[in-house]
Amino acid sequence: MHVLFFAQLKDATGCDSIEIELSSPQNCEQLWKFLIENFPALAHHQKNTRLARNWEYVDAETVFVNEDEVALIPPVSGG
Amino acid sequence: MEIEIQLTNELIAEKISAPSQIGAHGAWIEFRGVVRDLENGGKISALEYEAYPEMAEREIRRLLEEIAKKNPCLAAKVIHRVGIIPVGETAIYVGVASTHRGEAIALLAEFMNRLKQDVPIWKRRATPLVAANVNLRASDSADSHRRLQKVLPLDEAVSEIQSRCQPLPGVRVRLEESFGRVLRETVLAAEDLPPFDCSTRDGYAILKNDESEKFQVVDTLHAADWKPRELKPGEAVRIATGAPLPCENLCVVMQENVERSGDKIKILRRENSLNIRKRGEDVKAGAQIVKIGARLNAGKLALLATAGNVNPLVSPRLRICHFTTGDEIVPPSQKPKPGQIRDSNSFLIRGLLQDFSFDLEQSHLSENFEQAKSQIANRKSQIDNADLVLVSGGASVGEKDFTRPLLEWLRFKIVFSQINVRPGRPLIFGVNGNRIAFGLPGNPLSHFVCFHLFVATALAKLIGAEPKKFLRGQLAEKLKDAPCPRETLWPARLDLAGLHPLAWASSGDITCLTETNALVRVPANRSSIDAGTEVEFLTT
Repeated sequence: MHVLFFAQLKDATGCDSIEIELSSPQNCEQLWKFLIENFPALAHHQKNTRLARNWEYVDAETVFVNEDEVALIPPVSGG
Repeated sequence: MEIEIQLTNELIAEKISAPSQIGAHGAWIEFRGVVRDLENGGKISALEYEAYPEMAEREIRRLLEEIAKKNPCLAAKVIHRVGIIPVGETAIYVGVASTHRGEAIALLAEFMNRLKQDVPIWKRRATPLVAANVNLRASDSADSHRRLQKVLPLDEAVSEIQSRCQPLPGVRVRLEESFGRVLRETVLAAEDLPPFDCSTRDGYAILKNDESEKFQVVDTLHAADWKPRELKPGEAVRIATGAPLPCENLCVVMQENVERSGDKIKILRRENSLNIRKRGEDVKAGAQIVKIGARLNAGKLALLATAGNVNPLVSPRLRICHFTTGDEIVPPSQKPKPGQIRDSNSFLIRGLLQDFSFDLEQSHLSENFEQAKSQIANRKSQIDNADLVLVSGGASVGEKDFTRPLLEWLRFKIVFSQINVRPGRPLIFGVNGNRIAFGLPGNPLSHFVCFHLFVATALAKLIGAEPKKFLRGQLAEKLKDAPCPRETLWPARLDLAGLHPLAWASSGDITCLTETNALVRVPANRSSIDAGTEVEFLTT
């Protein structure tokens, strides 16, 4: 699974993306747990950050599989 | 509603044209968001914007379509600039056309509000007005190692590789060592082939126009006999297949059509065929027999041998260093502990390289960067001489952060590190002069796909051969896939019925590779493809 970081989350993780190998599908909670274990600095962004799966915002029921592209979207500020 | 969306690094034009069917709408309203010279109370000279382009475009479209349900409009055009935008320049342009102004104004207002909530575009940082240049450079360099690298589409990645790989100088080798290499000079025939007229039958050579019924056998010629002589009418020469004819103007009567008693023969039946292979019939002296750029297969070696070309100028053996990484990997002979797996990539790579002539050094590196450096320190000269350095990534988090610095430490300049292909997205390609390096994602299927798409292309260029191209063929069975935002290379079995897609669950699958002899190209966002559809594929 490819995970992308944007804006201040790049600064928090020190990279723009990572590749994760999922052995089984994961829900949002599991994914966040994994990400925070690997990048503790993400913890205090979690509340304000939305997840996107394959270019669409996820909902609470979304399940992530290995072939997904996942993005962590901090509060946006375009325009 | 007609929708046009652009994300651009370029200046947004002063004048943007309205949609073409101008007669149909009564209102065309435009809005420009311009970078102000104040940000958070401080004077600035520029703002930097960042976007998640694929998703931003989708969200903009979704918002426009949703808002248009309440406020029907005819057309909308949105242009958002990203990168560094100086004060006074347009960051966003929105144009909306509708029959009456009310809908267009309402749509624009709501769109701008929603854009600032949902569309993944960010103001990244402001550049203070003072010493702007210095700051710009500082922020560039500090950010360069984690700049969002462009994710290259397949075709762009392939042409990038092709443009950066040049053929290595040719070497003269013994014909015995030249199999599989690329010929670097056109070879001409020094003499005719065959070099003399010879018989294609076991039989009797007589004068072509000799109508006699009975003949006297005056000589016998075996395959290696060179015995020129004139024949008179009524004379025949016993001749074996492949033996040189004794003179011109002859034909050979096959022995099945002849009755022999002692040294006399009687012809029972005459054929139209002369049964002679003429001198130069296969190749004339001076003709090009094998052209420059040809891959030397068994037939070409046979031809070069026939023509006496025993030291052809060919592509050199490729010197290849291959490193496997991943602390979970153990040698295949070892029993893995819980959490460990056996190394398969070393064998996959060695096998995939068999189409090429190569010297391969393989070793395993620790994922600890400092340890890895000391592991390769004493063989650095070997690596520095390699035409190709391959690094197979481990499957763990952060493999990119290992391979990339490793290749940079080996003085490769990274050309790209992400491709928009499934499987195999984090592919790293680097160059150092005419030497090249690839960081392959760790999974076997990704290895297989990336090797055929990219590594084989680079190697073909290095040896001076034509890289493999996509072919077109029909699916023999339905290809069942869920839509993926990336282009997919799908393992398949090609036979006379067409392409049979093979089942694979993840890029870690190895079993499907045992049957794969083709990769089907599935366009991005395409779900299933029906049997009988023409598709592009690559033979493997």
